[in-house]
Amino acid sequence: MDVNDRRGTHDGARIDPALRARLIASMKPADGAVPAFIFSSPDVYDAELQRIFARSWLFVAHESEVPEPGDYVTRYMGEDPVIVTRAEDGQVRVFLNMCRHRGMRLCRADMGNTSHFRCPYHGFTYDNSGRLVGVPFHKEAYGDRLDRDALRLFQPRCDSHAGLIFATWADEGPSLAEYLGDARWYLDVLFRRATMEVVGPPQRWVADANWKLAADNFASDAYHTATTHASIAAIGLTPSIAFGKDGYQISLAHGHGCGLGISPQPMVPEEVLALYARHLPPEQAALWRQIKNLHATLFPNFSLLLTSAAGIEGKRIMHTTIRLWQPRGPDKVEIWSWLVVERDAPDEWRALSRKAYILTFGPSGIFEQDDTENWTNITANTRGAIARRAATFNYTMGVGQEPLVQGFPGPGRVIDTKFQEANARNFYGRWLEMMLA
Amino acid sequence: MSAGPDVYHEITQFLYREAELLDSGRFDEWLDLLTDDITYHMPVRINRERGDYPDASEAMEHFSEDRVTLRLRVERLKTDFAWAEDPPSRTRRFVSNVRVSPGPDGATDVRSYLLIYRNRGDTPAVEILSAERRDVLVRVGRVWKIRRRTIIVDQASLGAKNLAIFF
Repeated sequence: MDVNDRRGTHDGARIDPALRARLIASMKPADGAVPAFIFSSPDVYDAELQRIFARSWLFVAHESEVPEPGDYVTRYMGEDPVIVTRAEDGQVRVFLNMCRHRGMRLCRADMGNTSHFRCPYHGFTYDNSGRLVGVPFHKEAYGDRLDRDALRLFQPRCDSHAGLIFATWADEGPSLAEYLGDARWYLDVLFRRATMEVVGPPQRWVADANWKLAADNFASDAYHTATTHASIAAIGLTPSIAFGKDGYQISLAHGHGCGLGISPQPMVPEEVLALYARHLPPEQAALWRQIKNLHATLFPNFSLLLTSAAGIEGKRIMHTTIRLWQPRGPDKVEIWSWLVVERDAPDEWRALSRKAYILTFGPSGIFEQDDTENWTNITANTRGAIARRAATFNYTMGVGQEPLVQGFPGPGRVIDTKFQEANARNFYGRWLEMMLA
Repeated sequence: MSAGPDVYHEITQFLYREAELLDSGRFDEWLDLLTDDITYHMPVRINRERGDYPDASEAMEHFSEDRVTLRLRVERLKTDFAWAEDPPSRTRRFVSNVRVSPGPDGATDVRSYLLIYRNRGDTPAVEILSAERRDVLVRVGRVWKIRRRTIIVDQASLGAKNLAIFF
């Protein structure tokens, strides 16, 4: 028997026929029509956990979080708890954080270092390659009838790209490289520009919002910055409220999407640009002389953001953050946010980057605060009887606009403005496809 | 060694006064309670096994502020676009378990527990944020000021949609 066989459990039944019919009738992603009820419906959420989260490649950790053999962090894939750990052979593996005996959570700390995971309930013990290696009173309790090989920890497929570790419960289906596809070019701009590392543990906080609102915002929504984040311009941290306008929006296969802001002059000091030029191919290194910001969502719930929208100590400074929009219910999201820095950049650049990040993003961030205000209020509104029955949200910006055929170095379907919702249409198109398929 | 009753009384009154200013949105007056070289930190708490210390990270923090950035946060709240706190939260800060002891260079170490009740909008839902504050206070002329504050917040995953308030 395949010990990793989860047929009939993880790859659950097709969605309820009535929900299926309703989604088909009300949701037209290509036309920019997204029904309000999908942002708080418990039925939609239950289906998402099976149809989306149990079948997609999901980000679980950055390699710098588990640098040494035995290092582990505990994470979630959808609502399923997992352990991400590096074994003595140097391989990073991911396991469902659940004892195969009676389902107890094996590991209950956020991070640590261990060669074995011992269940607190009856003491079943697993090594960090997932094998059941210890059962208390084995002979007295089971004689020789316990099939240890059948009790390996559930183990999703795991792979990494540019230091970003992903896992998926889909035993069949695309490799990580295939899943990321052309998104790798943009990931590399951020994560291969230098040896990147996360700074400390992730910040985590919970908002009463549906996870998709955050994911679509980071994929697609430069337009909101002029209003939602107008306070930033009002206190002089950006020159004007139009800071999000100039640049490109790039739609990618599998629902991924990226926005790239362009500046007339480099936002990064020459010594840091020189560091990037040592790591990147010329085309991507050259792009760094123009990048003002970069935001993206890799379907379904992993986003990244490079921003320059904070002047600290008279200097314009960029920082890079990655985040997970972890589903915690139809109307609840736990936000996980990491700061990522260049390991070999000058100390001052790293320190200012950290300062700019904490001031503007994370739970106290004066940018981010106003985003959660929007997402929580929208989610609450979608619980209303009228919204659930009749409201369709409008994602039509840029429908019919032709993509560029040349003049931009990166792959994907490129539109030469950031005021554009093609990426949201692409995101919800992929979402619908996975929900129905 | 603890402080005498007069100093202890002055400091508890100072902390109550600070809570009153923050609860009533008098942020400029609150900034006046801080020294020019204020440092203001809130480390990220981590869920670790007993003995695996520290369980708070200095590498990543929810606040890592000086006077300039605290001033920016206050100025932002005064704009017409600080949606996260407009309408503002109704907060009530409960300060207790105050301990006072001599600090470095003639300063005074003050530890206190802080419980923030926060309600907002038209729902009765409440956020409760609990923390210990580790402060260094100094006398400037006849008044006390805060030179350093470290906030040890008691959640690894914050039950708050933002930290648009001060601790």
